[in-house]
Amino acid sequence: MFKRKKRSSEDETLIFFCTDVHGSNVCFKKFINGAEFYGTKILILGGDVTGKMVVPIAKQDTGKYLTTFAGQDTEFTSDEEIDNFIKRVSNMGFYPKVMSETDFRDTKASPNAQEELFRDLIKARLEEWLSYAEDKLGGTDVQVFAAPGNDDFFEVDDILQSSSVITLLEGKVHQLTDRHEILTTGWTNPTPWNTERETSEEELEASLLSMIDNVKDMEHCIFNLHCPPYNSKIDICPKLDADMRVVYDMGNPVLAPAGSTAVRKVIEECQPTVGLHGHIHEGRGETALGRTLCLNPGSVYSEGVLNGVLVTLGGGGVVDHQFTQG
Amino acid sequence: MGKTVESSSASSVGTAGGTGDRVFLRKASGLIKTAGATDVFIFNVGLVSIGIGLGTAILYGPAVYPGGSLILGIIIASVAMALVALGMITWTVTIPRSGGVYAFGSRILPPSLAFASSFTESICWLFLTGVAAYWIVTIGIVPMFTMAAVITGNSTLQSIADTLSHEWAIFLVGTLVLLLAGGILTSGMRRFFLSQKIVFTIAMIGSLLLVAILLFGSRADFTANFNNYFGPDATYDGVIQTAKDGGWANPGFSWKQTLLASNWWFLPLIGAAFSIAIGGEIKSVTKSQTWGMLGAIVLCAVVWLISVPLAYKVFGYDFLGAVGFNDLNGLAGTPTTPWITLLAGVLTDSWVVTVLVSMGFIAWIWMWVPGMQAYGERAMIAWAFDRIAPGRLGQVSDRTHSPVVAIAAATGLTVAFLALFVFTTYFITLIIFIELALLAWMFVLAAGIVFPYRRPEMYEKSPISNKKMFGLPIMTVACSAGFLAALFYFFVLFFDSFAAGHDPKRLTIMGVTFVGGIVLFYVARQIRKSQGVNIDLAFKEIPIE
Repeated sequence: MFKRKKRSSEDETLIFFCTDVHGSNVCFKKFINGAEFYGTKILILGGDVTGKMVVPIAKQDTGKYLTTFAGQDTEFTSDEEIDNFIKRVSNMGFYPKVMSETDFRDTKASPNAQEELFRDLIKARLEEWLSYAEDKLGGTDVQVFAAPGNDDFFEVDDILQSSSVITLLEGKVHQLTDRHEILTTGWTNPTPWNTERETSEEELEASLLSMIDNVKDMEHCIFNLHCPPYNSKIDICPKLDADMRVVYDMGNPVLAPAGSTAVRKVIEECQPTVGLHGHIHEGRGETALGRTLCLNPGSVYSEGVLNGVLVTLGGGGVVDHQFTQG
Repeated sequence: MGKTVESSSASSVGTAGGTGDRVFLRKASGLIKTAGATDVFIFNVGLVSIGIGLGTAILYGPAVYPGGSLILGIIIASVAMALVALGMITWTVTIPRSGGVYAFGSRILPPSLAFASSFTESICWLFLTGVAAYWIVTIGIVPMFTMAAVITGNSTLQSIADTLSHEWAIFLVGTLVLLLAGGILTSGMRRFFLSQKIVFTIAMIGSLLLVAILLFGSRADFTANFNNYFGPDATYDGVIQTAKDGGWANPGFSWKQTLLASNWWFLPLIGAAFSIAIGGEIKSVTKSQTWGMLGAIVLCAVVWLISVPLAYKVFGYDFLGAVGFNDLNGLAGTPTTPWITLLAGVLTDSWVVTVLVSMGFIAWIWMWVPGMQAYGERAMIAWAFDRIAPGRLGQVSDRTHSPVVAIAAATGLTVAFLALFVFTTYFITLIIFIELALLAWMFVLAAGIVFPYRRPEMYEKSPISNKKMFGLPIMTVACSAGFLAALFYFFVLFFDSFAAGHDPKRLTIMGVTFVGGIVLFYVARQIRKSQGVNIDLAFKEIPIE
């Protein structure tokens, strides 16, 4: 029935890991407040911190503001309506932007202008987050770690690194506790979307191996790899056809693995104590590759719900873990 | 929120929030199109089972509820189910996650109540899976062999039918059906979907064939064939007279009997809302769930509304009532239970057509078996995930990615329920568990009434948050209507002593199951607490200061 694990009160470390918040204000704030709520001193934010969509709110000649959301065009007539809308879509991970109809049309016609707008809004959102984190956790003994994911611009690293309370983990091995190291990368194998941080399986393996060389104690090492191992049950997502549509059979999506063979290979060979993964939002779950427990808390950021996992680390490895939906 | 002025022409490419041609997107993973209205429609129609509704209502309707209008019953049950579906639609568009009532309930109800609702609902669906296996034998296989034997005069076929009518044979064949379903689910979802596709095709062909048979058949042909096969011991007129002598009478239209008979339409229609279980995988969730659920209800109602008058035309209301009444009371009639498959066989005088129609019914009933097993398994996995159930329940096969332990547990439970149904009279009023499931749904629908007020920060993210009716949030209105419809059928079942009733002993089953769910939650909570795990954290929302 309920398997009981031997517990030792000494030398246990509780960490809270979540991932793929994709720009959601409410999810990031929950992440920061998770330290007090779950009683942990270590917070780890996995990759894909940035959102995917800008929602223009364009002022019309009539004085009203027009936007599109949830498949519908909507008009606003008061500042209060606009403020409420901005708060709502920001919590869902999108970037609202008030502009004139002329600016909207100009931006719409220019991919470069859209790219620039995205970068500006992402930077502003992240800076707000860092300010919030510093207000909440500055001067405390809570350690906050973060890493980018394949969807995040490279500038994200610099912004995260500028924080006084957040430690950027990307591309290195970090001493997390006296006993535990953490190895991190947000790079993934190729996806159908050709995102920022993708590379071939061969190059990903080479990159991972070069970091692994710096691990002093693999038995107590955490692999914080955004991409989950291939065919590991936590990398299962809907299969896409050539038109990027989900393949369905009798009304049910056909599922297929989308993880990385390189990640699987290094985990199977190195056997770290735990693998923390994300990337596949639908892949919430756990799996064991040898002695390594691999965890993917998944993501439902647009609902304002923060999926996470609490991991208790002990001398012999993972003592326990618990998925959360905060 | 502002005023909606027109619908966007752009296609949906996001999983949340929706999009239009006035937003800017960047290349990022996860921007995919997911299930549409057609997919949801197919999913739900498969779980309604047109055949079970037609089979049970034709057999039990005129026999047990004389004076009840099956046609009016179809309309009443469909409207009620549509209201329940509308309430569930507002839930699934507000919380577009897979998992059904557990996903919804855990957002607002106390964790113990959310788990108890999910637990009792799952017990209900798994119990009905066992019953469906029973029906495959009794509605499908036995009448098929009986009529084939009668038409061909083959005594071996009759011996098979007689043997399969015995309790142990029903249990063993039913168990094989359940094990086969479990085996298919274990072999992976691809094989499951393939098998369902084949079975759905067979079911539709069988149903169309039945409609054609009824359309072109005549009362005279049926009477002549019936008298030829079963006379002189049981003739068409003799069956009716025997029933009347035994106490059956058609008193003319009765509202009360119409409502009670409509239970047998409402039961399968509940499957039309099962797409709440896959809510997280559906694009344009408002449109897709609305059309998918309501479309499934409408299609099934239309097929039934065509079939029932044709059945009346060919068999006659009094005969249907009498032959069913006689069978239930051990009076003279057909050699085995007169399901519509058997009567259609008599009408056609062809063993080939008999077999094809029976196969169609078997196919419809089969659709329920793995479908409902899978629903129960998903719930078990969710419980294991939240550490309420043992972790092994969530164990997934490396080879097929199937939740093998949950499938084995669900299959074992369905076999146990089949045994209870076959070997005891205590559980024969099967709908008692539907009352329990309705109770669970009522909890969730009642929670939906207050959800926009209790959880405004979540409701404001819903695409329906700006829609109001009578000055109230649309979710409040829809869940109120759904709650009242579910409550209505809860009491219709409550006062239907044949289908469910309120026998104190059977009500005890309901109470024990629901309370058992709550007790299980607290036992699991205590065990996990002793292991240093606080399962309350799985449900609690992190406050933002």
